[in-house]
This record gives sequence, structure tokens and C-alpha cells, in this order.
Amino acid sequence: MKQKKRYLSHVVFGFALAQMVLAVLLAAGCALASREGAWPMMVSIVIALEIGLACVFYLWVIRPYRRHERMLGLFLEGYSLSSLDSSDAGLSPESERLIQYVKGELDANRLLKLSKRQAQYRALQNQINPHFLYNTLESIRSEALVAGLNSVADMTEALAVFFRYTISKVENLVTVEEELQNCDTYFRIQQYRFGPRLKLNIVCSPEDKDEIYRCRIPKLTLQPILENGIIHGTEFKIGAGKLTVKLERTEKLLNILVSDDGVGMDEASLAALNEKLDQSGRAFQEDKEEHAGGVALVNVNNRIHLLFGEEYGLHVFSIPMAGTDVRITLPMITSNREILQSEVLP
Amino acid sequence: MKEEVLRMDRITYREQGVTELNHFCLDINAGEIMGLIPINDTGLAALIRLLRQNLPLHYGYVYYRGKLVNQWQGSDNRFNRIGVIESRSGLADDLTVADNVFVLRQGFKKRIIRRKVLNRQLEPFLRETGVELSADTCARDLSAFPRFITELVKAVVAGCRLIVLMEPASVISDTRLESLQRILRHYASEGFSFLYVSRHYEEARQICNRAAVMVNGQIAKVVNTADTPPETLQCFGVEAYTQLVRRQGGPRPAGAETIPALELKGVGRGHIRSLDIAVAPGECVVLQDLNNHILNDLIDLLSGREKPGTGTLRVGGRAFRPSLKREVAIIQQQPAQTMLFPDLSYMDNLCFTMDHRLPTIWRRRAAQAGVRRELEGVLAEGVFDCPVEALTKPEKYELIYTRVLLQHPRVAVCVQPFMGADVQQRMQIWSLIERLLKKGVSVLILAVNLADSLSLADRLVRVRDGRVQEVIAREDFSSLPASAPWHDFWTNTEDAPASGGETPAE
Repeated sequence: MKQKKRYLSHVVFGFALAQMVLAVLLAAGCALASREGAWPMMVSIVIALEIGLACVFYLWVIRPYRRHERMLGLFLEGYSLSSLDSSDAGLSPESERLIQYVKGELDANRLLKLSKRQAQYRALQNQINPHFLYNTLESIRSEALVAGLNSVADMTEALAVFFRYTISKVENLVTVEEELQNCDTYFRIQQYRFGPRLKLNIVCSPEDKDEIYRCRIPKLTLQPILENGIIHGTEFKIGAGKLTVKLERTEKLLNILVSDDGVGMDEASLAALNEKLDQSGRAFQEDKEEHAGGVALVNVNNRIHLLFGEEYGLHVFSIPMAGTDVRITLPMITSNREILQSEVLP
Repeated sequence: MKEEVLRMDRITYREQGVTELNHFCLDINAGEIMGLIPINDTGLAALIRLLRQNLPLHYGYVYYRGKLVNQWQGSDNRFNRIGVIESRSGLADDLTVADNVFVLRQGFKKRIIRRKVLNRQLEPFLRETGVELSADTCARDLSAFPRFITELVKAVVAGCRLIVLMEPASVISDTRLESLQRILRHYASEGFSFLYVSRHYEEARQICNRAAVMVNGQIAKVVNTADTPPETLQCFGVEAYTQLVRRQGGPRPAGAETIPALELKGVGRGHIRSLDIAVAPGECVVLQDLNNHILNDLIDLLSGREKPGTGTLRVGGRAFRPSLKREVAIIQQQPAQTMLFPDLSYMDNLCFTMDHRLPTIWRRRAAQAGVRRELEGVLAEGVFDCPVEALTKPEKYELIYTRVLLQHPRVAVCVQPFMGADVQQRMQIWSLIERLLKKGVSVLILAVNLADSLSLADRLVRVRDGRVQEVIAREDFSSLPASAPWHDFWTNTEDAPASGGETPAE
């Protein structure tokens, strides 16, 4: 049940009223005390009441106001969308309505859809009618098989499987197994380009494997990161490149580490990328350009934030010439029922 | 399934407007010994404060033992049950080991303390560590290793599931370090987790499952110590450091003078038992105290505060007598904190020990002006008019070592010179000591752990129980254990500086 909000404007008004009442009581008390000779008691009562009011003022006005101010500051820095109405106190009903309006504008479902579409567009790079695309790819595959070009046939098949998963599968959440299969397909396609110099290794503890593979994660979580690793890490590297996907679980979390042994990045770039990931709200507010660096990672991170909350998401570790690791932290979910924000699911 | 003990997730932490931790991420599992290699000091102290107490965060989340204990939306300032063992003692000096472990524990409410009961309760813990230590020993009398063990047991008894060890190798000798590592592994197998802070990757590699490389308040990378080659760290100046040593650190030519600059013959005092060491002019000798017993006694002897009980101590062939000639200079550990006088000017600090060479230095302004003119090209620009407190750490080190250079002693005794220094500082200290050696000053490095000393040494003298156990010459450094810092450097013949290495431009 949603807790009823306390408005600072009301509290300040109440406090002023209490002060006035206290002043009246004080005047009456003074008159009485002068007759009865009870000055010390009167002074004690007034001091106690004033201390009490000061405490109330601090707890109900100053502290919530500071918190509110901090939330607004962090929101403007781009840190959080959920922080806007997380406080149990608001400035006034009007300011609260304004915040709700802003929140409405940044509606999670709408953002999720936009974000998802952006991921699909990124994967496709252009808008092609999917059925036309599948049929064409099947035709190419048949022709290749007839001509005895098995490698072309295999490549075309991999491409068709990849597009089918990317475009036609409409769920927000898929199993880790499905996502890894898509990575494998994508990797097969990339291997036609890079040959044996590119290697993919998937590491998972045997005793946790079944449970981890059943776990639900947002669709297109791993492939964009893998793509990033190939493009920014391994492509520029001389010699063989190795990509590793390591999956681990704790009681509540699923940790996925996507590592490449590529060129890595310097400290400043790393800090800038992690800042961009932490300030996920800003990506929506400013409508960033596609060509700005790290869009794929920001996109995946935003979708995780919207689906599961800000405690989860992406973080990047990197050292120049020693590779990059992208750590994905997700809740350990094996069914849709476990998801708190069910409204974001189809 | 792994059990998470600590997770610091995307922490941005600021103190007085300065960002100490920047998008900091660190996770430690139960039973894990996690290494932390700080490339520089930024954020390290703040990290420890943040582990101890839930201070307000700018952004991020801290989970301890699966619970969210601190987050950017609100912090409760409560203390976490995380033990921190630092290089300086965290024990109450006047209490016994048992009192420190039990009585100072949070939640201990007994009004009458029964010493026998406490001692009996402590016994199984001490037995577990395999260290012979009496529960009645006063904390003041403990040397570094038993003190470390006492603090470790104290943390275990207090229920800390995560214990932070701050650079244990800076106070514990190699052999004791092996015992400590055995104890850590034992506790790790019981589910305790450790964050092992070390400046040297080689050291962390010996004990840790993973090691996080921290630079400028962020974790740049978490490396798996089992399968990651050390080249990972090269980009943080380590490679530059190695190259510096390779280029400039060739064997020093023997001088014409045959009389040892410093000679100890059968010296005994305090924990020192019949110690024999000779340091030739211009030679660098590293004295490694394997028990960490004799360093204070040795400093007392070399500074002239104490006289040898037995044997002889000679400087330049004559019996050592502290005099105005100042033939022995002692550079204390972490000298930037202990060897500067903030109320004096830069010039006063610089010329502090050179009046035996230039008696008019305090009377005549022209003399000081001359020194200043001479050094203006050597020292950093603008430091002469800067208050000492406002100097940067490298400038403070430069000042101290230049003071020693102006003093021109026969022997400079450096006490743990590389202790607590990051890579850049280590490179600077290395160059400063090398500069002393090139000017013909003999250097005696007193060390508990070898750290970077091997990169400078002509000889290594290992002392156990107050006596010389072995002397290893430069060409035999490769025979040292693989865990010794710079071991790879000496084993790899391509790396080791060639005879008659280049002389650097001064």
C-alpha cells in the first residue's frame, strides 16, 4: 500500500500555528505564574515545549527538505528516475503534481519499448521486412547448397537464425540458454569474418549450470556486449582474440562477466563510460545520438534498470592493452512471477 | 553457488568535495582471499573508512553479508562488523592479549573479569593459529607478527566475517608472512573472507584468489591470480620502473678506498647478538631482519643514542662517535611525516644538517643564497618559497634526500624506504637513493620485507635472531624465493642490468 505523503508546506503551516498557540499559552502562563509565583515551572515547561517543537521541525521539515533537495540534484545530474518520488515527504501538493507529470513523461514502459526498439535497430542496422529477409536468406542457402558451397549455406543459416531471434521473438525476458545460443550464432557469423583468430569460451560451474541456464534475463543482453568486445576490443588487436562469458550465481544474484583480451581502454575513458552507465537517466533525458560511444552498453543497462531496478546493471573494468570486462548484475529469476515490476513485461 | 560477503556496487564517495571513490565496484565471496593492489593512494583510506562505517554516499550501494547496509538514498552511519588490521597496532597497549581479544569486544558486559576463564577461552583460538603466544602477554611487548595474529583472532572472535589486512608485508618478514598466509588460508576454509591490501602483485599472487587493481579511486580490473600474467599491471608505471632499473641500475664500480664506510663487528645490544656487517664506500647493502626484532636497536646504535654493549661499531675506520661531522644520516620510514619541520622555511629544512660543512650557513644570508642558486636547477621550480606543509609528497621526499645529500654523510641508513609508497613514489625513492650512491654515499637499507630494496642492493644480508644468517651477493639474487619482489627481474638475464650499465645523466 502506498504511504500517504507528508507535505512540507503543511508541516511548516502547522508549525507556525503551534508557535502562535504556544505564544498565547505563554502569555496566559506568565499571567498565572506572576499571580501564583510559579515562574521556574513555567520557564521549564516553555523550554521543554520549544525543544520538542525544534526536534519536530528538524525531523519533519529540515531533514526531508534536505533529502528532497538531494534527490532533485541527483536527478538533474542524471542519476536516477526512480528517486523522484521515493521520498515520503513532498514540498507541496502542486510540486508533487509537477513531479508526477515529469515521471509520466519519462514513463518506464514507453522508455522500455523505445530502448528495445533501439536495440533491434542497432542489431539490424536498417529496416528490412523480416519475412522478406528470412525468405531471401533461405533462398541463398538453397542456392549455396545446390552449388556445393557449404560454408555459404551455413553462414546464411546462422544469419537467418540470428535475425529470427532478434526480430521475431517479442518477449522481454528470455532464458540464459536462449541468449547464449544467440551469442553462439552471432559468434559463428563473426568467425566467418575473423577466422580462427577469434575464440569464444563460456564458463559456468557445473553444479549451478542448470539453474543458471534456466534463469530469465532481458533479451539481447549478451549479444550487444559481445559485439562491443569484438568491435572495440579484439578487432584492433594484433593476433588471436579470446572472448569469455563467465556465469556465476549467488543466492539472489546472477553475475555475468563478458571479457575480452583486446586493447582495453585508458583510465579516463573507463571512468567516462562507467559514469554514463551510472547516470542512466540522462541518456533518456538528453536523447543521445547513436554514434556517441558505449550506446549498446547504455542501452542494455537502461533496460535492466527499467525491468529490475537500479541496484542491477552493468559495470566496466578495463586496463589498456589488458582487455575489458563487462560485469552484468541481474536478479536470480527463474519465472515471470518473481519479477516485481510485472507491468513492464508483455 | 557462491555466498556473497561484501559487494560495493558502483560507489561514488566524496569527502569535502573531493571524489575519493569513483564508480568503485568490489565484491568478495565467503571464504575468499581477495587482493587489492592500490597503484596510488587515492581513495584507499576512504575505502577503509567506508568499510568500517556506513557513511553518506554520493551514489551506489554497499551490501554486507547479503544485506543492503548503505546506499546513496540514505546512510545510517552505523558501524559494520568488518575487522581492519593495519601496520600500526590497533590493540590497547596496557592490556593483555586475552583482554584485547575479549574484554574490548562489542557486547562484552561482564563486570568481573576472570582472567583464567578468558585465557582458557582464548586457548583454542591460539591453538588454531599454531602460534605460540601467551594469553597473559601485554600487548605492548608483542612484536609485529604476534600482534597481527592477536588482532586477527580478535576480529574472528568479534564475529567479523570480512577482515581487511593493510600491507602486512611492510611489518612482517618473509618467513612469518608464510605463517600468516597459512593461517589466513585456514580461516578462509572456515568461511572467513579477507581483503589483502598489498603494493606488490607478486605478494598478492602468493595468497589471493583474485586481485583488484585500484587506481585513482576506481577498480580498473579484477585479475585472476592463477592465470593472469603480471604484464597486466605494466601499464601503471611498473614497466617504466623496471626499465628505469634496467637502464640505471648496473653494478657499481668498486671505489679505490678499502676502509669500510660502516663496520659492525660482533656488536650486541638489546635484541642484537654479535652482528657482523661491513658496508663498503658507495655500496648499497640491504639488511633484512627476518624476525623484525633488531631494527629499533640498530637505529638507536647508528643514531648514537645507544652504545654497543659488546663489539665495535666503526665509521670510516674509526670508532663511531656521534659528532658534529654527521657521518651517519638516518632516513626514517615514511620521512615525509617524520623528518620535516613545518614551522621552519624550506631553506631551513634543507640546510638543517649541513653546518658542519658550511659553518656560516646560519649567519650569512649569502651562503644560503649560494646553496639556493646551486640547487635551483635540481629541485622543482618554486619550492623554495613554499611553506613545507604545502609541498606535495614527491617534493617532500626530494627535500629530505637533498638535505642528506648536502649533509654528505659516509653512510645513509634508510629505514624501510619503500613502505606504503605507490609505484610513482617508489620510482622517485629509487632514483633518490641511487643519486646518493652515485655521489659516493654508502647506503644501508633496513628492511623487514624486501619490497623494492632488491632493485638497489649490491648485497643482501639476512639477519635472524639478532645474528647474520646469510649474505647473498647481487649475482645470486636469483636464488631467492620466487615470492620475493623483483625475483623475475633477477632471474631473467635479459632484464638484469648488464655489467657497467649506463650512467644516467644527473
